[in-house]
Amino acid sequence: MKVFVGMSGGVDSSVSAALLVEQGYDVTGIYMKNWSRDLPGMKCPWAEDLADAKRVAVKLGIPFEVWDFEEAYREKVVEYMLREFQAGNTPNPDIMCNQEIKFKLFYEKAMERGADFIATGHYARTGSLSEVATPVLLRAVDENKDQTYFLYRISNEALAHTIFPIGEMLKPDVKKLAEEKGLHNAYKKESMGVCFVGEVGMKDFLKEYIDVKPGEIREVETEKILGYHEGAIFYTIGQRHGLYISGNKGEINDGMPYYVVKKDLPKNIVYVSKNLNHEAIWTKELKLKDVFLRMGSDTAFSLSSPSSVGSSQTASLVREAQISVRLRHRAPLIPAKFDGETLYFEQEIKRPASGQSAVLYDGEICLGGGILL
Amino acid sequence: MDARVLKAMEPYFLRDFFNPSAAYLPAKKVAAEYETAKGIIAHAIGAKASDLVITAGATEANNLAFTALNTGILYLETEHDSVRKAAEQHGGEAVRVLSNGVIDLNDLKTKITDEAQLISVSLVNNELGTIQPLAEIAGVIREVKIDRLKRGVKRQLLLHSDASQALNLLDINVARLGVDLLTLNSAKIYGPKSVGALYVSHDVHLSPLTYGGGQEKGLRAGTENVPGVIGFAKAVELAKEHLNGNRKKYTLWRKILLSELQDYELINKKHMLDNFVVLCYNGLDAERLIYLLEDREVYVSTGAACAASKGQKSHVLKAIGLSDEQIAGSLRLTFGEANNEEQIHEAARIINEVVTNEKRRLGR
Repeated sequence: MKVFVGMSGGVDSSVSAALLVEQGYDVTGIYMKNWSRDLPGMKCPWAEDLADAKRVAVKLGIPFEVWDFEEAYREKVVEYMLREFQAGNTPNPDIMCNQEIKFKLFYEKAMERGADFIATGHYARTGSLSEVATPVLLRAVDENKDQTYFLYRISNEALAHTIFPIGEMLKPDVKKLAEEKGLHNAYKKESMGVCFVGEVGMKDFLKEYIDVKPGEIREVETEKILGYHEGAIFYTIGQRHGLYISGNKGEINDGMPYYVVKKDLPKNIVYVSKNLNHEAIWTKELKLKDVFLRMGSDTAFSLSSPSSVGSSQTASLVREAQISVRLRHRAPLIPAKFDGETLYFEQEIKRPASGQSAVLYDGEICLGGGILL
Repeated sequence: MDARVLKAMEPYFLRDFFNPSAAYLPAKKVAAEYETAKGIIAHAIGAKASDLVITAGATEANNLAFTALNTGILYLETEHDSVRKAAEQHGGEAVRVLSNGVIDLNDLKTKITDEAQLISVSLVNNELGTIQPLAEIAGVIREVKIDRLKRGVKRQLLLHSDASQALNLLDINVARLGVDLLTLNSAKIYGPKSVGALYVSHDVHLSPLTYGGGQEKGLRAGTENVPGVIGFAKAVELAKEHLNGNRKKYTLWRKILLSELQDYELINKKHMLDNFVVLCYNGLDAERLIYLLEDREVYVSTGAACAASKGQKSHVLKAIGLSDEQIAGSLRLTFGEANNEEQIHEAARIINEVVTNEKRRLGR
């Protein structure tokens, strides 16, 4: 069985490759070169990551190749991200990268090269259900590291040919295994957030690519100008930090924080309020667009929770199914009902930024999700 | 670093931690010792202490060499990035090498127009160990200068050389080499890192890289790196003691490697320092060999360390006409004072073994 494993140089994909070798697969390590441009004040670590990945591949005695997806990454991920920010949204490029690059281009190229499977170091699992033909994406055993939030949009075809070797493991055990196997990157600092933005931070990255203009910060209730911002796209609704609000302390700033409640992009005005209970911040309903249901729209809501893999429940369409929802990576699961378009919560929740994803679960099963309007 | 170098430096971190520019007597003593150390370094290349500008390493010295010019720079295409990139910043043009890595003097002659003001050619290439015929280049420059005088062209024509690789193996004399600017590097001769010097002939005018207290002839402001220069001077002294002995030893070791290693193509055949052995294992990936050899405590390189860490292919190997496949299979083996003959035999044996295993993995 031939497997192409995506190796980033990190501990998770390194251990994944090691496990596949141990399990007797014919393994080839692939470094996906998606981004190599240095940014001001930050050297892109791609060459070091590549060397780390290659070193592990060599020590495992497996072939190793670099597959260059830079052009596609720029077109499908970076440009999407910039477009979304310009439209006032807060996109998630990692979700797009999995959908368009890792589980599409990488998958397709691996298949062309005669692979039976691809593998990645994601914390996720696959399974099957008797009532649906499609493969099932399952939450990782390590609830703290579960990455299905980033994977909910990958195609079923790719998922059917994917192995997640560490999906059953806990992160500390992955690290321990890396040490035992003498993999040098056992202690490598974990990359956080969007890989290529790295330590620079999204704001500095956006400044490089989008021509932003400073504008006013106004209090929503009074229209009074409280200060000025560097560019409305940097702010998300509900955000509390980073407001350069000046003025008469006694009158305006009584020590209570302000929250972003509205953005007027054409006029480049950011509206804030001291009212933490402002309706823009809290909601009991979230409308989704580009909804992607992993098992089709009929079966998606049919499984009454808690569900266990392999059980044989009758597939019948249940509208407003009771499911659970994750609104950010590693955020707690919140119970909700879903009618195929809108999520309904029992209690008010803090509204996530538009452009982020809501990912739906039935027990361990990732049902899919959509992008918040 | 040589332990004797560290010992020489130690007092200047602790007891003699005075700023040489301070007014009180203990500081003046440190200033004098700093000048003496500079003198030791300068004498090693036939110069005076006042001809040297101490820098934080060879890269800075190379950069300083180009500061005064914005046009008319020629540099050898196989130069280290600190010369190439700095020269490019000042509008430099590359001069070709022959397939043996030695400067193509005909190409040089055609590129020396009346605009040319500075030619930069390293004494020893950092990847191949190729020794460049600096005296010959200086001869070409002399002819051009005479011709310019005859025709009333007033422009200067200077010769800069990065001698980082060679201070402990070649007898370097600025007058004999005919250079106006010469870069020296402490770390390459077992001195402290981030210490270097630029020899600046008295009639050459440079622009400062840093402004401030006017140290180093006003070209390199900033409090003097006293322990660094003391250590550099000590390393120079030690290097001079072993000059000939080391070269003989390295010639023998190179012979041992070339006879005991198997199935390689030798890349640097002639005109090189013997402590550079560049080999190509055709069809193999040299990077894989590095990772396999490091487990056996044999540490080798591909191109320049700094280029390799950025994922770049060696511009030097490309310049001497190697194919991409040859470049991918090329390994650079160097050795130095920390090694002994036993280790050379051992390294050859381990490299052969690793190469054989790698070929077996590939089914060859």
